[in-house]
Amino acid sequence: MEERKDNEPQLRGLYRHVRISVRTLNIIILVLSALLVVCIVIGISRGGYQITFDTLGGTVVESQKHMYGELVEEPNPPTREGYVFDGWYRDEALTYPWNIGEDVVTESMTLYAGWKEK
Amino acid sequence: MSEKNTASAAGALSTKDKMRKVGDLLLNNAMYIIIVLAIIYISIVRPSFLGLSSIVNVISLTAAKLPIALGIGGCIVLTGTDISAGRVVGLTACISASLLTTVFKVFPNMTEALPLPVVLLLVMAVGAAVGFVNGFSVAKFKLHPFIVTLSTQLIVYGIILMYLMSGTNNGQTLSGLAGSYRSFVTGTLFSIGGVAVPRYVLYAIILTAIMWIIWNKTTFGKNMFAVGSNEEAANVSGVNVSRTIIMVFMLAGIMYAITGFLEGARIASANANTGLNYESDAIAACVIGGVSFVGGIGRISGIVVGVLLLQIIFTGLNFLSVDANMLYIIKGLIILIACAIDMRKYLVRK
Repeated sequence: MEERKDNEPQLRGLYRHVRISVRTLNIIILVLSALLVVCIVIGISRGGYQITFDTLGGTVVESQKHMYGELVEEPNPPTREGYVFDGWYRDEALTYPWNIGEDVVTESMTLYAGWKEK
Repeated sequence: MSEKNTASAAGALSTKDKMRKVGDLLLNNAMYIIIVLAIIYISIVRPSFLGLSSIVNVISLTAAKLPIALGIGGCIVLTGTDISAGRVVGLTACISASLLTTVFKVFPNMTEALPLPVVLLLVMAVGAAVGFVNGFSVAKFKLHPFIVTLSTQLIVYGIILMYLMSGTNNGQTLSGLAGSYRSFVTGTLFSIGGVAVPRYVLYAIILTAIMWIIWNKTTFGKNMFAVGSNEEAANVSGVNVSRTIIMVFMLAGIMYAITGFLEGARIASANANTGLNYESDAIAACVIGGVSFVGGIGRISGIVVGVLLLQIIFTGLNFLSVDANMLYIIKGLIILIACAIDMRKYLVRK
């Protein structure tokens, strides 16, 4: 039979099998909170969004790192045999153009090169 | 002499008591303290974080994520959870985007978008059906909600992928949505200082009001809390436990469906990744907002505060250009801390 000690705290619901004291929980909360702060600090200090360029068969374009709200620097246009470069796009299907002089960075992303046949 | 001793002992005890009270306060609110400190830091480093457009942005994103959290909240009150939520959002977003569009790739024979209410009702039925499967399995087979909803999560994902492969779509992202659908969801409700507040903010407020009434003013709501806090006692006092559990999961499914319907138009496209991990945000928001895994404890206002706080902190970290990869780790830690605080609060109260 299951023995129940009165001095052992009882939890209900999802935690019903958990046997833990308030003191242990205090330590867990403090340690995890410290870890959370550390992660936030690391995240902030390493801040910056990676902008990669997928030229879809053209010459390689180096990726850039930018902070929130910055403009992407215009890279040297890639080249591809038999095609003319037609600007950068936000999606692989080339439906949303990325306006390099106006659109600002808000997340890490990949820009895709648009090509027109010569 | 002895009187003096007792007095000083009493004094020492009360300082010790005070210390413990302060400690309790700090530990129980550890999460809020960290979040508030982070917000203060962010607004000092990036003053534009407190700008009007940023505030409207936070409110809009909160509104977009509120319905799913309101749905999951009920499952948590029942000491369960629902990890199929995000995929249901994805499926309903894909269905909405495929029917309310100008390029019918999934249904090549269609020429005109269906009326909005028809699609909304359809996706709500789909959400309710998934919810029914979840609820039925939990109530009748006594399976743990984690297991049941893990399998429905996978099943729904499979359905999404097959749905996107059907017709002439070939698995591509659904876009080119109908103008009426987009304006119904993202049209301007009103403008403050030139910043447009989208219509879905109003829908989120309406849904919150409806859920508040369901939770607080209906027999179903009272039954839900009764089943959550003690299933056997609820059963003895005449509550239909199975029906209550099934209805909670169905209601949750309907809320995910509404989220999906709004999300499709909000993002202006839908694909297999739409809704991915939405449930983790919603669960985190609920636990931060005081909906307890202990069962039978939780308030709608708490969920709203939870979603808002999470949104503020993540928008803030976005302003500081914190990479999305790190945000996942931060979210995971937030859920763990919130659960530890949740347990602590219950134990201390006892």
